Amino acid sequence: MTASTGQTSGGKLERSDVIRSWILWTFFSHASYNYERLQGGAFVHAMTPIIKKLYRSPEDVKAALKRHLVFFNTEPNIGGVIHGSVIAMEEQRANGADIDDDAINSVKSGLMGPLAGIGDTISQGTITPILLALGIGIAGLSSVAAGATPDLGSLTGNPLGALVYIVLESAAILAIGYVMYTQGYYRGRTFVTDILRSGVLDRIITGASVLGNLVLGALAATFVSMYIAVPIRVGATNLNVQTDILDKIFPGLLGLGLVLLTWWLLRRGWNPITILVIYIVVALVGSFPFFGPAPNFVTDACGSAILQPYGPCSPPAPAG
Amino acid sequence: MRRRLIRYVGASMVVGGLLAFVPASVLAADAPAKITVNLFQAVLIGLGYYLAQGPWLFGMGFFTLYRPLVAGFVVGLILGDPAKGTLIGAAINLIYLGFISAGGSIPGDPALAGWVGTTLALAGGLDYAQALALAVPIGLLGTVIWNFRMTGTALVIHYMDRKAEEGNLGEVARANWLYSQVYLFVLTFVPVFLAANFGTQFVVDIINALPIWVLNGLAVAGGMLAAIGIAMNMRFIFRGAVIPYFFLGYTLVVASNRSISIVVIGVVGLVLAYLHVYFVGTRDRGSAAAVTSATQAAAREGM
Repeated sequence: MTASTGQTSGGKLERSDVIRSWILWTFFSHASYNYERLQGGAFVHAMTPIIKKLYRSPEDVKAALKRHLVFFNTEPNIGGVIHGSVIAMEEQRANGADIDDDAINSVKSGLMGPLAGIGDTISQGTITPILLALGIGIAGLSSVAAGATPDLGSLTGNPLGALVYIVLESAAILAIGYVMYTQGYYRGRTFVTDILRSGVLDRIITGASVLGNLVLGALAATFVSMYIAVPIRVGATNLNVQTDILDKIFPGLLGLGLVLLTWWLLRRGWNPITILVIYIVVALVGSFPFFGPAPNFVTDACGSAILQPYGPCSPPAPAG
Repeated sequence: MRRRLIRYVGASMVVGGLLAFVPASVLAADAPAKITVNLFQAVLIGLGYYLAQGPWLFGMGFFTLYRPLVAGFVVGLILGDPAKGTLIGAAINLIYLGFISAGGSIPGDPALAGWVGTTLALAGGLDYAQALALAVPIGLLGTVIWNFRMTGTALVIHYMDRKAEEGNLGEVARANWLYSQVYLFVLTFVPVFLAANFGTQFVVDIINALPIWVLNGLAVAGGMLAAIGIAMNMRFIFRGAVIPYFFLGYTLVVASNRSISIVVIGVVGLVLAYLHVYFVGTRDRGSAAAVTSATQAAAREGM
């Protein structure tokens, strides 16, 4: 299929056409998400205002619709640069430039995979967890995790945590999406290549990994917890394994070990669901009161089970 | 065209403004002692889960309502206790902190866990750790809904193929934004509405029947399960020269006796990111592998 049929197509796109296309894409990028073509249906939907403006003969419209109704999948916000570039290519093609279907398809299929990887690392992998952690912290969970609030019944939480997250996350994601989409159009394909070659994206990804790792470490320390409840009898006193031994070496040692173990298991190809079931079983067995009545809260004397919920506890004084 | 744009933006701002002002009025009221779910509230909760999966809200559903933190807040608003709802949502969100949906596959459904989990937890009077453990199996059930969605919506694509053959621009567009949503609405609204309307008493009965050690076990599991979400995210960024920063983040928090704010961590992280890129550069091949392959792809296409 070669380019246009002369006088029936062509024309100049307005800024508003590109923005209209972006709005369709940002709203409906996953509306018809499916295993067969993933975002293919959404891609052609986002192109409809462009196709309508550029092509007037039914054959050209038909060809353009079919051209974009193929398998497509990328991260929708960073990946918007692909749409911008493709819009620029369609405009040139409609105005007589020698751009065939293969050129457009190769830009789409060549960039969608790599940009999905980069985009997911930045949006889902870095921005979202950081802002979620911020929101969860404001919501009031960090005080629970720190064991500072023994009475769970009085715990209320703070809705601001959710609101702060909604505002910051939407602003960040929409801003990225808008800039990538419009810049992709104005600077064309060379924009993508220039960014990749200049190493700017390399630096952003590396910087994001530094930030992401620091934040993940902080999250692990705040929210992952395991407390040993069973005491060791040494002479006339009970030695608290958690506070007297483990916390003296490195506070949060068990949590760190658990995160690294999970990471290692996942890397070895374990299914996260299997790990999840195992952890629940371990937690239940660890909480079974082998040695006495089960404690209700942190303030209760512990020592009846192997693991302790909510925070470190103090073992009862030895009986005899 | 421009006027229509302004209308879009204006409408979004009005909705956003309303969302921002509603909680202030609800917050002032005292939380009811016992929460029950009536028919209307169950409808709203089902609708909320649909919006989390659907395209409305500027496509931000996936980044906001889909997250248990936000779902918990909105369920709390609907049921009259936004503070408790946010707390429970935040707890459920812990195991999905590292949630990444890539290439159309998802490891559990944070949204179902958030919407149904918070509803059942509020109605059942559960604490945050019990809610977390309860939400885990619900989140796994959500993958069933996801698979139905991803399989069934392919029919819409075949309809689009036929309409593209006719050159029917309007129908192709409508198939994407409207017809796909009829299916998605039924798929998401119905199960959540049923669970919210009929499931709560059932869960309350179960929780009341459980011995204390099982509840304690669920709470212990709550602390452990957060490790899975974090480790899943680590698979993507815990590699190469940036690994030490993970241990630094962990140590900063335990050294401050878990009192350091995540904002402080974020600022420290930005400073370190700048210094790392400036002095070490991007020699670490691990984290930059995606960029490299993108460059190669671009070069292959002769761009």
